[in-house]
Amino acid sequence: MNKRAVVDLDSYRLAQYAVQVPCYVCNGGNTFDAEMCRHCFAPLALAHQAHAQNVEPRMVATIGSSGVGKTVYLGMLLDMLSRRPDRMQLLARGAFSVTLQQSTVSSLARCEFPEKTPSEPDRWNWVHCQIKSPKQRKPIELVMPDMAGEALLEEIEHPHSYPVIRAFLQKCSGAVLLIDSTALHDGSRNHDYFVVKLLNYLSELDDHNGQDWSHRPLALNFTKGDECEESFDDPEQFARTHAVGLWQHCQDRFPMHKFFATGVAGACAYRDVFGQGRQRVPLRIEPRGIIEPFEWIVNRIKV
Amino acid sequence: MQRLISYFFGMAFVPQSKFKWIAIIGLFTSAAASLTLGWMFGGGFLLLTLCSLVARRTWLHKHPSREELSGESKQTATERLRKHLAANQTASSDQSLVEGMLSQKRYALLLRKQIVENLSQEEFNQTIEQLSEAMAILPEGEVMLGADSRSDSNDLFGDAISNPVNKILRVGGAYLDRHPVTNAEFFQFIQGGGYEQMAIWDQEIWPGVLNFVDLTGESGPRLWSDGIFAEGEENLPVVGVSWFEARAYARWVGKRLPTDAEWVKAGSWPVKLANSTGGRIQRRYPWGDTLDRRRCNLWGSGPDRIVDIEEFADGVSAGGVYQLIGNVWEWTSSNFSENNLIHGQINLPMPMRTIRGGAFDTYFDNQSTCQFQSGENPAARKHNIGFRCAISLCDLTTNYVAIADSQPVAEAETSTEEVAV
Repeated sequence: MNKRAVVDLDSYRLAQYAVQVPCYVCNGGNTFDAEMCRHCFAPLALAHQAHAQNVEPRMVATIGSSGVGKTVYLGMLLDMLSRRPDRMQLLARGAFSVTLQQSTVSSLARCEFPEKTPSEPDRWNWVHCQIKSPKQRKPIELVMPDMAGEALLEEIEHPHSYPVIRAFLQKCSGAVLLIDSTALHDGSRNHDYFVVKLLNYLSELDDHNGQDWSHRPLALNFTKGDECEESFDDPEQFARTHAVGLWQHCQDRFPMHKFFATGVAGACAYRDVFGQGRQRVPLRIEPRGIIEPFEWIVNRIKV
Repeated sequence: MQRLISYFFGMAFVPQSKFKWIAIIGLFTSAAASLTLGWMFGGGFLLLTLCSLVARRTWLHKHPSREELSGESKQTATERLRKHLAANQTASSDQSLVEGMLSQKRYALLLRKQIVENLSQEEFNQTIEQLSEAMAILPEGEVMLGADSRSDSNDLFGDAISNPVNKILRVGGAYLDRHPVTNAEFFQFIQGGGYEQMAIWDQEIWPGVLNFVDLTGESGPRLWSDGIFAEGEENLPVVGVSWFEARAYARWVGKRLPTDAEWVKAGSWPVKLANSTGGRIQRRYPWGDTLDRRRCNLWGSGPDRIVDIEEFADGVSAGGVYQLIGNVWEWTSSNFSENNLIHGQINLPMPMRTIRGGAFDTYFDNQSTCQFQSGENPAARKHNIGFRCAISLCDLTTNYVAIADSQPVAEAETSTEEVAV
């Protein structure tokens, strides 16, 4: 015996799948309900927010080698700007944009550095925020991911291995390049070579309008200034003295560049952690030179 | 173009920022005169030049330009300040030795048992008055060092620093400076030959004393120039000094650096309850248990720089000590050990000394409490580390009548170490 039943017609939902949602970073097509781009693993919330609010967020990259302090810099920057809006005001867009700030600040308050950012792009923290600057008439929408240093190195050595990095850096309006001042001060040429490789990689990238990185602001930021006061005294002179290759490269290929120095910890000690080796322990947190490079870039972004 | 105009009107030395309008008016007036009354051109030119030169002389007399201030006048300002302080010193040298030492804030030396007998009643009273004005009494008693247990239980975000162990120490009675040592006071130390008197320096640092120079290579704090602080910074706490320099200064004025326990006791002002529970009331901040950013110069509460020692007076401790929290970190005499009460078991890159109190750029609330302890390389000369001095009660004689009848006594031990209980 047959029994009649009322069944919902779900086939109209299939129509939504027919419309592709382009990823904001790589423009790859995705289904409307995807959480991350299936091509580059960038969060599709960025695309949805941009579409819903009818804005076109700019992108600023924070790049540098592994362990240079990208997560700490970005987390501190977000927290400082959101706590004291007198110089620039930062308002996060979306709950996911607060995660990086929360995890970084929570670690630093415990006198620990945050854990290493995983290499997998789907585990990176992304920030979408609105910046109000006294020098910009309109607020700027910014997207800033916390990329892993290992992934950057891999992409530089083997281009296209991380599509999200290439796509993001192509679309970036500017970048903060972090450089370990203690490594340079100790005479490590490896760090200089890595930064020069990164600059070479950047100089080969064009955005969709054919604009290369020579027209985009690049802030070169010496980190870990607490262990290298010399970098604070005169960052440009420090670059000339300790990173000749980097300095020369910037002079020739990046006319819009400026050197800065940054420090977050007042002093550091070490702790041996089983299975993780030797880890740096901040003995106190006193941020210096965090906002200046970012402010310099934002003031040069054309809205 | 401005240079050309100025030169044309004979005003090559006129500062362009101030007298551009004179040159422009002169140009138009002369042009008009030459078109309408040609023979008067020369007269007009001469008159304008003379007027502008007179105006320049008058203006410069009243308002020296910024260029001059940053160049020659900066030198003059430095010289003036140097002469002013040197004049004070000369005046004090004309006075008695006692008055000279009092002007250098070296009253603690005068109150040593060996010296105080030689003071007259009036000199003794002056010295005692200066002591009570400049230093607060720290009564003897117990103090707990380590993280505050209250912060652990209520911490929702896991921000509390792990607390491996607390330690209760007994501290002897002492005097502690009400304010950190200022630039002006440290300048007197330099003028008094502090960097040349090797007896007041730790022997281990003797070869390094020559490295303690300012931006221009003169002996002095790292951020000074030409051996002197910037104008208007007399009353700011001195920073850019190493632990060794702080210790040498303290010896020069007859004092010492406070121990870690003394510093914490002065800020947290512990009270041991007499009941059977053996409880203890110990403040997190000098004014109470809650951080009030109006009372201290920390990140987000002040002007993002070091301020005068008289500011943030509401942050005074129960014992009358100012700016224990915020403005500048303060060196203490204690070691920053690897088995640390705050940070747990850590490896130090070099032997460190303890600093306390937080500075104008200290970011987190939990790192600016009386209990929080940080460390620094004793040879480091950081932009936000200063110091204040202390002296044990037993090292000073504060009763004139008693010592008048007493016999000379042996020199007391200058440093009191806390006793673990």
